[in-house]
Amino acid sequence: MLAAPEPSPDPSLSETDANQTFDALIWALSRPGIPRGLPAAGEARIIRALLDRECRAYSADPLILPEIMRTGAQIAEIDAADHVFLGALQDLAPLDRIALGSDLYPDDGATVVLRGQIGQGPGLRLSGPGIESTLTVQIGGLPSGFWQKRRALIRYPMGFEIFILDGAAVIGIPRSTDIEVL
Amino acid sequence: MAYVATRGGERAIEQSERLFREAMGGFDKARVTEIKQSLPYLIDRVMGEASLYDEDLAAIALAQTGGELYEAVLLLRAWRTTQPRLQVAAPVEQEQLFTHRRISAAFKDIPGGQVLGPTLDYAHRILATEVLQGADYKPAPVDPAEAPSPAYQPSVSTWQAENDLLDLPDPDGTEGNDIPDLTREPLLFPSKRAHTLQSLARAETGGVLALGYAAMRGYGQAHPTVNELRLAEAEIEVTHPDGRSFSAGRVKVSQAEVVDKKGEKLGIGYAATFGWNEVKCIAAATLDLNSPGADKGAPTEEEFFLYHTEGVESSGFCIHFKLPHYVTFQSSLDAMRDAKAKKAAANIAKEPAE
Amino acid sequence: MKLADLTKPWEALSYGFLDASAKREMRRKMLKSIAVPGCQMPYASREVPMARGWGTGGLQVSLTLVNPRTRVKVIDQGADDSVNAASIRRFIARVAGTPTTMDTLEAGLIQSRHRVPEEILRDDQVLVLQVPNPEPLRSVQPNMSIARQMHADADYGRMWLQLYEQIVRSGRVMQGASYPSLVHGRHVMTPSPIPRWDVPKQHMARHLTILSAGREKRIFAVPPFTRVEPLVFSDVPYKVEDHGDLTCTRSGTRGYFMNEIPQNDGTSAYEVSDSEWGVKTIRAAEDGGETRGETWYKDGKMS
Repeated sequence: MLAAPEPSPDPSLSETDANQTFDALIWALSRPGIPRGLPAAGEARIIRALLDRECRAYSADPLILPEIMRTGAQIAEIDAADHVFLGALQDLAPLDRIALGSDLYPDDGATVVLRGQIGQGPGLRLSGPGIESTLTVQIGGLPSGFWQKRRALIRYPMGFEIFILDGAAVIGIPRSTDIEVL
Repeated sequence: MAYVATRGGERAIEQSERLFREAMGGFDKARVTEIKQSLPYLIDRVMGEASLYDEDLAAIALAQTGGELYEAVLLLRAWRTTQPRLQVAAPVEQEQLFTHRRISAAFKDIPGGQVLGPTLDYAHRILATEVLQGADYKPAPVDPAEAPSPAYQPSVSTWQAENDLLDLPDPDGTEGNDIPDLTREPLLFPSKRAHTLQSLARAETGGVLALGYAAMRGYGQAHPTVNELRLAEAEIEVTHPDGRSFSAGRVKVSQAEVVDKKGEKLGIGYAATFGWNEVKCIAAATLDLNSPGADKGAPTEEEFFLYHTEGVESSGFCIHFKLPHYVTFQSSLDAMRDAKAKKAAANIAKEPAE
Repeated sequence: MKLADLTKPWEALSYGFLDASAKREMRRKMLKSIAVPGCQMPYASREVPMARGWGTGGLQVSLTLVNPRTRVKVIDQGADDSVNAASIRRFIARVAGTPTTMDTLEAGLIQSRHRVPEEILRDDQVLVLQVPNPEPLRSVQPNMSIARQMHADADYGRMWLQLYEQIVRSGRVMQGASYPSLVHGRHVMTPSPIPRWDVPKQHMARHLTILSAGREKRIFAVPPFTRVEPLVFSDVPYKVEDHGDLTCTRSGTRGYFMNEIPQNDGTSAYEVSDSEWGVKTIRAAEDGGETRGETWYKDGKMS
């Protein structure tokens, strides 16, 4: 006899949160430059949706550390971290140490989360996968020379992904995106 | 004429599963207990290949699948997916194994002694057909030894290393969470040592035997000598969150060391698995022995034997060929017909010139 | 800390079957696969309650993405009622409580084996393709480690040579389904065993495609608006199956990918492969209600 089909399990609150957060992240990374809403502001949701004891994370912002540690992820130096939380970035130096992965394993390139102001600051012209032709956005709050530095560092398919957080809005910039500062 | 209401597929699969299960009937806890008690070596094999040590769950898997081994292993592996990893147990040294059987083919006698233990090796394989006539099959009782063998012994390779006959591998100090875990990371090549051993530990017995046997017959460079084969129980030592370490129980394990005699020192191959499974351990250790320097594509090359002895993957892929493939087939037919038409057209074009 | 802190409250089944850590790994790998379109990212690939080779890779992606509001469509060879499609659909609905649909336009997530639906997918839809063999170089290099190095070096010479040899021998590229394609000008990818008919649908599409091979433990993606170019020589153009002029004997629809049905008299009849497109066509003819969306192909030609 087949067991009677049991009722479907309900998602827990954390499951729902993580699902919504990832939905925003994957959408944002698939369409670089277009902001998408997270269920709540801040890094915490991203940390819970992506990190666990298999991860190594770096955070420039000590306030985020407890949240990272709760996931079981190991705290690491930037160059050994697969997830890098830079908060409100002041200078460009940390970028030099972000893991880029290798040609053999591009997936070892890090995911970088930092704060910025969407809709302010210099205009950027984006092109590449996820963008029909080109897209112009403004992202403020980053040290000057940030995008030039990113371009210099990325050797596609080696590189890193950036999520820019502004409150509950997130913009994704994969390594495949070409960015021209206007 | 309309497309049929598309519920046909769902009904068909429901009924086909019922047909399979109806043939076996239901089962209860007593059946599970009986399977566990009467078929311990089968339980061991399933637990080993599932990389999940739980005799009750393995017995359920066998009862539920009617002994379809690939299905039973898959059932356990899928259940395993749903379980969190709570702890990493402390490493177990060989001399800490509670040993039931330990033999070496390399020496007549070894420090700690040859311990024959339970085996059918010297049994005459005569089927007990008298049971069908109503006789009970009653094994004769075991006479206790005058001097019981010690339960804990060093490995033979330790003695060999002390006598400069072989180089033991460098100790790997990786601990706890840092130990690479095949069930949480993909197997990549060159394979991490931990991944290689884990992959062999959960490999399908028949697959390991087939490739190990190929190596033994000469498709490998090294002929194995069973340096030591051991059936034992290992203590699972874990740490309570309050810091105390305690035993969570014992699991049956088997391991084999095999050596080659090609150079100035012995080369060593090793394998271990959950449960008692001698064939698998010897065959797997033989593959391990033969893998250094093996050519790409050889059966003794790591990528070749680790991929192809993964029972859940290989059996799944094998049976997936039952699925409809008419779209890909259609696509190929189109290319074939077009090529044929092109050739015919080319021949017609050529003919007048001849 | 207590022992109980290490675990979680007991549940008969996690939502979506996969536990939280399996889902997190899938999420991390999906992001990386989107970041480097067409590049195969290794992942652990947990065992799920289906046999390897039966859509376990696609299933792990679907189970990670769905929530109780995601409307799920599952097809195999273009058909919703194919037995394995029915099995996967039933499983997702059972473990994740998702509503299901057969209508491509209604679906939020479509898991498919060997076909891309004929109706144009939107940017709010995700297509999850099941992949048996993620390695387009397998036919020229069965060793995965060497093939990986070839991708790292963008060393596709042997792939080109194989195509060239086919043209010399047979007058055309003999690749049926799984036509190797260059993604974002860098990685050669198998589009999965979809017919050549479906490959152009991946090029500069509005929707996200995730391709996942559970048995081989590789995941890759084609983000929206990404170049997917079949490998062709400039003087031998890419050719989709010659189905543009075929008519479905059951629905009367014409100009889509067809299944060939051998007949007793030695001839062939054709049925449209996208079964729901056939159903919609019949319904439109019967009651005049139009539920069909825009299609990639118009009059048998990619538009």
